[in-house]
Amino acid sequence: MYDLIVIGAGPGGYEAAAHAARMGKKVALVEKERLGGTCLNVGCIPAKTFLRSSKLFHECGEAAAFGVKLGSVEFDMPTMVERKNRVVGTLIRGVDGMLKRAGVEVITGQAMLVSRSAVQVGEQRYEASNILLATGSRPAVPPIPGIRSERVLDSNTVFGLTHVPKTIAIIGGGIIGLEFACFFNEVGTKVSVYEMLPQIAMGSDQEISNRMLQILKRKGIDFHLSAKVLGIEGESIQFQDADGSSASASAEYVLNSTGRSPVVQGIGLEEVGIDFTSKGIKTSEQGKTNVAGVWACGDVTGRRMLAHAATREGIVAVNNMFGKKDRIRYHAIPSVIYTHPEVASVGSTEEELKSAAIEYKKSVVPMAVAGRFLVENEGGTGMVKVLAGARYGEILGVHAIGDSSSEFIIAAAAMVETEMCVADASEIVFPHPTVSEALREAILGVH
Amino acid sequence: MAVAVEVPKLGNTVEECLIAHWRKQAGEKVSAGEVVAEIETDKASFEVTAPVAGTVLETFFAEGTLVPVFTNMFAIGEPGEDVAALRPASAAAPAAPAAGDAPAAAASAVVEQKAAGPVPATTSPAGALSPRARRFAAEHGGAGLALPPGSGPGGRVLEEDLRRQYYSTARVSSVARQRLREGAEVQGAGSGVAGMILSADVGAPATATRISSLREKIARRMRESLAATAQYTLHTSADAGGLLLVRAKVKASKGVPDININDLVTWCTVQALVAVPELNAEFIDGRLHQHRAVHIGFACDTPRGLMVPVVKDADRLTAGELSIRMKALTAQAVGGTIGVDDMTGGTFTVSNLGGLGIESFTPLLNPPQVAILGVDAIQLKAVRREGRIEFIDSIGLSITLDHQVIDGAPGARFLKVVKEKIETVESLCTI
Repeated sequence: MYDLIVIGAGPGGYEAAAHAARMGKKVALVEKERLGGTCLNVGCIPAKTFLRSSKLFHECGEAAAFGVKLGSVEFDMPTMVERKNRVVGTLIRGVDGMLKRAGVEVITGQAMLVSRSAVQVGEQRYEASNILLATGSRPAVPPIPGIRSERVLDSNTVFGLTHVPKTIAIIGGGIIGLEFACFFNEVGTKVSVYEMLPQIAMGSDQEISNRMLQILKRKGIDFHLSAKVLGIEGESIQFQDADGSSASASAEYVLNSTGRSPVVQGIGLEEVGIDFTSKGIKTSEQGKTNVAGVWACGDVTGRRMLAHAATREGIVAVNNMFGKKDRIRYHAIPSVIYTHPEVASVGSTEEELKSAAIEYKKSVVPMAVAGRFLVENEGGTGMVKVLAGARYGEILGVHAIGDSSSEFIIAAAAMVETEMCVADASEIVFPHPTVSEALREAILGVH
Repeated sequence: MAVAVEVPKLGNTVEECLIAHWRKQAGEKVSAGEVVAEIETDKASFEVTAPVAGTVLETFFAEGTLVPVFTNMFAIGEPGEDVAALRPASAAAPAAPAAGDAPAAAASAVVEQKAAGPVPATTSPAGALSPRARRFAAEHGGAGLALPPGSGPGGRVLEEDLRRQYYSTARVSSVARQRLREGAEVQGAGSGVAGMILSADVGAPATATRISSLREKIARRMRESLAATAQYTLHTSADAGGLLLVRAKVKASKGVPDININDLVTWCTVQALVAVPELNAEFIDGRLHQHRAVHIGFACDTPRGLMVPVVKDADRLTAGELSIRMKALTAQAVGGTIGVDDMTGGTFTVSNLGGLGIESFTPLLNPPQVAILGVDAIQLKAVRREGRIEFIDSIGLSITLDHQVIDGAPGARFLKVVKEKIETVESLCTI
């Protein structure tokens, strides 16, 4: 009898398991594949490793402007993949060691919920007072004829590529699609992005996503917005363009990045009566499902498909199951798009504030106000936007585009999380010279 | 010769003391050793006594003021002696408290702040906080502070208690603090990092709106009503069968005014006042003015508040005529076009809340009138008739009377007449 069985060893599951074990609980973690889940194996970490290589390759092309002359530069895909595997391997071993130290029992196999307090793995049945579902998500497969053909990759299979394609068509201009668009573009692939919506990076602040579209187009990526892919046949893609006209294009590969679906099938949810839809398991702010003793966190809830959101959700659930009141505050969860340039944001977008009829003040400054940004980015561009409540000046949202906004967005997240007002935040000293000073300038610019 | 008494130094670190309470006021005689004032530091309170016998000539500071040690706080001497020389510069001159000099303004500001400070009076009586604690509370978020158990005498909450609590419990976010200052209250536990109280944990601030001049007038009239009369209320009910029958007849007939239940009850009341004129009266400056004509006022709910239009000479009107007049005045009152003449001169008032389902209430007198009739909802009532239980429609009647001039028995007798008129309304009024 366990205090907790966690199903799924992604960043939601393994962190929650370790947290519970450190609280002195008897914990088992069931994983059918490798530890680390999507994030470590086929998500955040591999993608960022790829992007690091492509960025370096791209920067080599710009080295002369920095006064560094290089000979011929080649992109070596197998070495990059090897490095990716090494990085991932190191991190997985890290997770493994961490789980061992915490005292979590890891069970390998496909878990099936058989009651509110029992999990079946193969022939073995395990009992627990609490079960945390952290089964994650998988790439969604839209109903497009030809989508299942060999030449159509998704965010899992793309890491199996052994050479740089000449051309790639990316279906979906969301976070995953844009990051890969950036990667392929930098390593020399001709990239076209097909997005059904009139905007890329849907959910981002529109001013930021417009700026990103502008920058990525200038880098040579083709965008078809408000476009619908009708079918894929061999190397040909048929699509309906924004004006309604049908067209076709050819691409060596197609990347399906139309989104991710929570893994809710085949894990016994129906049998136990868990309330869920294809969009995820319904949970409270404490991580409770409708069935007492069964909890859920991460992508399987369909709430915020972000590794760090999953981690926090899992820890909140564990705290609540063992008597420590806790709740997740989604509004202060930052998110980053690791394109070049990076996009980082936290809190409400301007569009959200408008539609909620919240009165706000706004300040936008170019990233170039920070000296360090100019130092680091030759010809780079970017901006930081701060949205604050009209009445009290509380920081409601911060949206940035420009390298390396991902590293300082946490400061803004802490401000949003603690409802800091512009006047309070103005008292904080930012290190000089750092790119984060652009955030400071934007905060000071709110009147 | 007048002597001044200084604020004593109550400890090495004490630089100022708070005037907590004046036991003696200027003009009072004191004997030597008698306590004149209570003062406080953040740790304890002390009594300041008179060093000599005499008269307290002047207290230089208001209660609640922080006064530096060794400052003159009051003067004792013979009545009439001049104390100007003893009065500290930081104190306000008694004759010119609003002279505009900065120290005076500062001193009075302290007092005001104390009075208006959002001290959590709802969770604990204000007296349970020492003045210094109250001051700390007012300066540190006021209503947002939960009161710790007091460590002072009798469980009194000292500044130190509050200070310890303030620096050891969950903090309040900037936004939440501002909303607390605006009068909002904390609802439940803090939901932020480490239990920080966020704006979501704070209710919407109370809104303060300046009331309209009509509302001000109503407020004043209501206060006067309660302050200047000896009100009591009697409740009874009448068989409403006749009222409902007449109303049904009105509805079924064409070309007759749309007389409703309220019109009928008002008309019955007018008939009762004709029969019992003692209540058709006004009590002014010790004289009871009994009127022959019945000018009936009726309470009317308008978008701007309560108004009481008056139907003059209602005793001369048929039920239909009264109904038409009441409807016309109601429309004017609601529309804001009613004239002053139609709002004054009433000799008796009827207030009907029956339409809103009220079963019994206590109308407030409209002085100088001596009575007001409240009309309640029609309800089913069980009655025994010839040994059987029957259910009748019954209308509640609540009359408030001024006991200064109308005793219980005459009031009850009048109400009985109203009841009779209502129960026989069918035969009294012709449609």
